[in-house]
Amino acid sequence: MKINANFMFFADRNPRINISLRVLMAIFGSYGLALLGAAALAAGTLVAKPDAVNLAIMLSFLLYLLSVIWVFATATLLKAALGLLVPAAFFGLWLALATPGGTS
Amino acid sequence: MRFDQPRGLRQSMSWLHTWSGLVLGWLLFAIFATGTLSFFRNEITFWMQPELHRADKNRIDLDRALQILAWEAPNATQWSITFPSPRNPTLGLSWQAPGQNQGAGGRDQQEGAREGASREARPARESAGGNGERPRGEGGFAAREGRPVRENAGGGGERAGREGGFAARSREDGSARREGAARSERAGRPEGEGAAQQNDGRQQGEAPNAAGGQQQARAQGGGGGGGGNRGPRIVLDPATGAQLKGRETAGGNFLYRFHFELYGMDRMWGRWIVGIATMFMFVAIISGVIVHRNIFKDFFTFRPAKGKRSWLDAHNASSVLSLPFHIVITFSGLLLFGNMLLPTAMQSAYPDGMNMRARMAQEATPPSGERAPLVDLVPLLAIADETWQSRGIGSLTIINPGDRKSIVEIRQPMAGGSLVSGRNMAESLRFDGVTGEPLAVTQAPPPTTVQAISNVFIMLHRGFFASPVPRWLLFLAGIGGALMVATGLVMWCIARTKEKEKHRVESGRTPFGHRLVEVCNVAGIAGLLLAIGAYFWANRLIPADLLQRNLWEIRVFFLIWGASGVHALLRDYKRAWIEQLAGAGFLIAALPFLNPLTGGLSLFGSISLGQGLLIGFDLAALLIGLSLFYAARKVRLHVPRVRATQAAPPFVNLQPEESA
Repeated sequence: MKINANFMFFADRNPRINISLRVLMAIFGSYGLALLGAAALAAGTLVAKPDAVNLAIMLSFLLYLLSVIWVFATATLLKAALGLLVPAAFFGLWLALATPGGTS
Repeated sequence: MRFDQPRGLRQSMSWLHTWSGLVLGWLLFAIFATGTLSFFRNEITFWMQPELHRADKNRIDLDRALQILAWEAPNATQWSITFPSPRNPTLGLSWQAPGQNQGAGGRDQQEGAREGASREARPARESAGGNGERPRGEGGFAAREGRPVRENAGGGGERAGREGGFAARSREDGSARREGAARSERAGRPEGEGAAQQNDGRQQGEAPNAAGGQQQARAQGGGGGGGGNRGPRIVLDPATGAQLKGRETAGGNFLYRFHFELYGMDRMWGRWIVGIATMFMFVAIISGVIVHRNIFKDFFTFRPAKGKRSWLDAHNASSVLSLPFHIVITFSGLLLFGNMLLPTAMQSAYPDGMNMRARMAQEATPPSGERAPLVDLVPLLAIADETWQSRGIGSLTIINPGDRKSIVEIRQPMAGGSLVSGRNMAESLRFDGVTGEPLAVTQAPPPTTVQAISNVFIMLHRGFFASPVPRWLLFLAGIGGALMVATGLVMWCIARTKEKEKHRVESGRTPFGHRLVEVCNVAGIAGLLLAIGAYFWANRLIPADLLQRNLWEIRVFFLIWGASGVHALLRDYKRAWIEQLAGAGFLIAALPFLNPLTGGLSLFGSISLGQGLLIGFDLAALLIGLSLFYAARKVRLHVPRVRATQAAPPFVNLQPEESA
């Protein structure tokens, strides 16, 4: 993986800060994303309710796993953070659309 | 490995694998080891109550059981009888006092009693005296209905019959023929698919966990309550009806509970800690798979006596051999905690909260107040037997016993359910308790696809479906998992030997972090096994009538575990390994010999009485103990390869170490 110099910041160049930020993102960011994903998937009308909870939990653990791997696999911190923020925005939007209408 | 420099995916994953595995590795080893033993939780508990070892499950004195219930609990709202199973040869009686709530808790408790009841073997009443015609366990019903029962000629035959009861749930298939051809399917059917159940009875009996969502309530069997408030329970020798007073012990349940909620702390704390460790484990396993892209090849590669490379091979082999098991057990562990770890799913699906208690509450049947005699249970059991054919009867519950509005409920063994149907699918039959008329039962609807998927994971984790062979396979896979964690932890040290030596040469001390991992390795791996061995010894050496002896057993476990930590701190790495491995090996390998000396059955006694679960325990202990001895010996004979830093002669340097 080549590092794109355009998106390198100070934190990327300092090994300690780099690794610390990734660990924090992996532990809290991925877990937060999983929480959000679970909420969105359970509220969405994919399947009937008791099943929706089950399915949301199963998928969210996979989401958690993939995001942890993503955070450590990406070249730059920016990309790692975007990998958490973009899906978070997606699930946040989903949740916002699904809940107030009371469709589920 | 530096994340500020260009690197490959596998390098990143290797870092992730190493550290996510190490940080909570010792906890994961403890979870794996105690969890693996939990597959045989009932067997362990039975072993730890030598007073029960001579129970004869080959026939059941049901009348005696009812007499005892009528004597002990004449006013109970409910009686439950749990039938003997291959996993517990005793007959269990429990009841619910009038004061106990009939709501959710009551239902839950009742559920617990039922599950406690779920056993495989059929009750067999002694219909005819005398030795010659005494029906064998599984054939009891046949005898009552006038079906032919195998006549055993002498003791040898009788033993064979008993052992048959363990080996196959064929119910005397060979000889006890039924009229209908449909029945023939029963023959040769392996026994004990449901054997897993009764283990949950007690946990289920506890109050439902307020925090538990639907899945958790179903799978974890409720939390809260702490196990202290299970209802009264009497254990009988099935054949004689004699009360057996097993010593007070937490038995295998201690190991079981420890593996998902630890001990000595609030259970929610314990569950969170274990849940977090499981999430680390999940990451460690999958990142490990990514690192080892030659996973198939790795499995067939073992290069012994090559230092780090051999450890790597051992780690790979133990991981890859049961990789599906590791993934399933970890993922299902997460699912079991799903509602706790990811509460948002429940919250968003049920913003107003979901009343689990209401959902679980059973339509209560109030007693009429008029007395009426109980119907003869034998024909009812025969009907259940007829209806379910191969699956058998797990338990019998009498609601409002002695009342005109009493109900007899007969349930299938819980584990009789298939892998996809989950444990809620055990069927039951209801009868009017006075007239014996069948009553309608609302059966659970078949599971949806999502439920089926989650059931498969959870059933695999909990081994509900497992008859003896899959159960032993799960046990072996669990040992593989424990070995995977242990070899990984040891490898962390071995991979850093060179840095350690360098540091020692420079400053004269082992680096702090390295020493910390070394001590934790010895205490966390060998020390835990030592503590488990000591737990079993304490079970037999602490006087049977000592007050709170069950707590003392657990205290011994933790005292020995703590002492192993001190020992590991004081001794050098290698000596500590040798001494603790050998100690654990001795404690565990000696268990089959300790057993008859302290009131239990000797191995030969178990074989002659056909107590299969004792045979299994004793042989497994012997084998595991000897393996630990072997490991201790290997460590003792191990000579580290001469390192380049130690001014080795040139020929050693044919394969120079890679430079840092």
